[in-house]
Formats: sequence, structure tokens, C-alpha cells
Amino acid sequence: MAEIKTVKSYEDVQIGEALGPEEMYLSKDQVRSYARATGMWVPRFTDDEGARKEGLPGMITPGNMSLAVLSKLVTDWVGTSGARMIRLGTTYRQPVLPDHTITLHGFVTHKNDDDRTAEMDVWIESDENERLVIGTATVQFPK
Amino acid sequence: MAVNYDPALIGRVFETTDPVPVTAEMIAKFTEAIGETNPLHTDPEAARRGPYGSLTAPPSFAVTFRNGQHFFQHVPRFGKQGFDAGKDVEFVAPIHPGDSITLSSHVKEIYEKTGRTGSMVFVIVRSTLKNQNGEVVAHVDHRFMNRT
Repeated sequence: MAEIKTVKSYEDVQIGEALGPEEMYLSKDQVRSYARATGMWVPRFTDDEGARKEGLPGMITPGNMSLAVLSKLVTDWVGTSGARMIRLGTTYRQPVLPDHTITLHGFVTHKNDDDRTAEMDVWIESDENERLVIGTATVQFPK
Repeated sequence: MAVNYDPALIGRVFETTDPVPVTAEMIAKFTEAIGETNPLHTDPEAARRGPYGSLTAPPSFAVTFRNGQHFFQHVPRFGKQGFDAGKDVEFVAPIHPGDSITLSSHVKEIYEKTGRTGSMVFVIVRSTLKNQNGEVVAHVDHRFMNRT
């Protein structure tokens, strides 16, 4: 079980500070378990043959699951402190294919002292160093 | 190219779903599927001592609520192909087991963009999630891209 660090206060956050990188082997079974848990049991997310019939190279990871792993990158960084992710935006640039290792990346881009928020860029990189999903997130720290 | 659409579409709620009850089991299946380890989302005892006083779903659980059956009939289409280009989610309040969530959806924005690969029309559909007390828990903006 990964250790969740308890973050730091707003004052401790550094612009340029990294989130991750965190390697993750995304198996077909894990994608299927996401599809099952979220009512997305359709061929493109569950079997290669069915996905090919839809013109895809094979089974793909649901966009919502990509969003979920990026969300987790941010919430793991936040830890169990009272800070809260208040926004996450994602752009799906290329399909995320299961049975590959992906790497989750991020870094802090801005701090807003007025409302004690920090903004960060986050992204999913393929094993060929392509950015498959990119996004930005905002974390609000307690007063 | 000018994008033609009926301006009355913007902001009008076209669909509100029936409430979906959130169970501890649904949250547990979700946390298992994404490999969640944060005790605020996996351990009711630890979560009780945390900032929310009880177990909460991970924020990304908010995007798992299904839109209604007729959702896509209300998403304006332009050109040949439509893609799910991404999502923008505002997390307003945590979701707890025992909550009951409804989604109300409207077209928020339609705009055109010209990129290297040609002209694209983006349609933003916002689904607002409310709990059983009528409190907003999240806004999920779906970004659909159409190649013209």
C-alpha cells in the first residue's frame, strides 16, 4: 500500500514542485474492473476484438479512468490534510492503451495567495514519451 | 465558417436524471478499480478523524454518474465526426455514501477554433450534480469536438 504523505501547508508549496512522476502498469483487467465498477461495460473498454470492430487499434482506457488516475496523482500529493482539489480539467489527445506502462506527471505552476490555491499541470505519458492526456488542476488549502 | 445554432439552446436544462443512490459498496468498487489508497476514501475509521468527518468518494467519482438516455440527442453536432475531447470538473462538495445524486444538463457554450488540422467546433455540455439536499456537489463540463 502506497504511503500517503500528509501535505504541508500552503506556505510549503513551491512553484515548480513536482507531482510524481509515478509509473503505473495499466492492465486490461484493471481497465475492465473500472468499466465494471462504473457501468461502462462496452466493447471498446473491455475486449480487443470488439474494439477493433469499432475501428480502434484494440481495447482503450475510458477517458474517465484517465481523469481518475490524474485526480489520484493530485489527491495523493494533497494527502490527508484539509486541502482539497477543487478543479480538474483534462484533454484527451490520444487513446491510452492498456497493457502498457504509463507515467503520471505534474508540477505546480501558480500559487494564488488571495484564495490560498495552487495550480498545477498534470499529464499521462506513454512508454514512448508521448503526452496522451494533459490537464490542469487547482487545489484549495485551508485558511 | 460561421457556426450556426439556435442561441436559445444555451443555458436551457434539457435533461434531469432520476436520483442515483450512492452506496458504500459503489465507492469501494470504484476505489479498488483505480487503486485508491487514501484512507479518507477507503477507511471509514480513519475518514471519521479526517477533515470531512466520514468516508467520502474520491473526487473523480463525480464523473461516473451517467447522463440520461436522451443526453446525446441534445448535444448539437457539427460536421462529420464528434469526439470526446475532454472534461473540466469543478468539485464543489464531497460525495458521501448515502447521498442521492441527480444530474441536470445544459449546453453551456459552442465555439469554433482553427488549428493545424483545420476547423473544429467545440460544444460544452455542463452536467450539474446535486445531492438529496439540493446542494451542488460538482459541475462536469463535457467537451465535445466536431471536425467540420
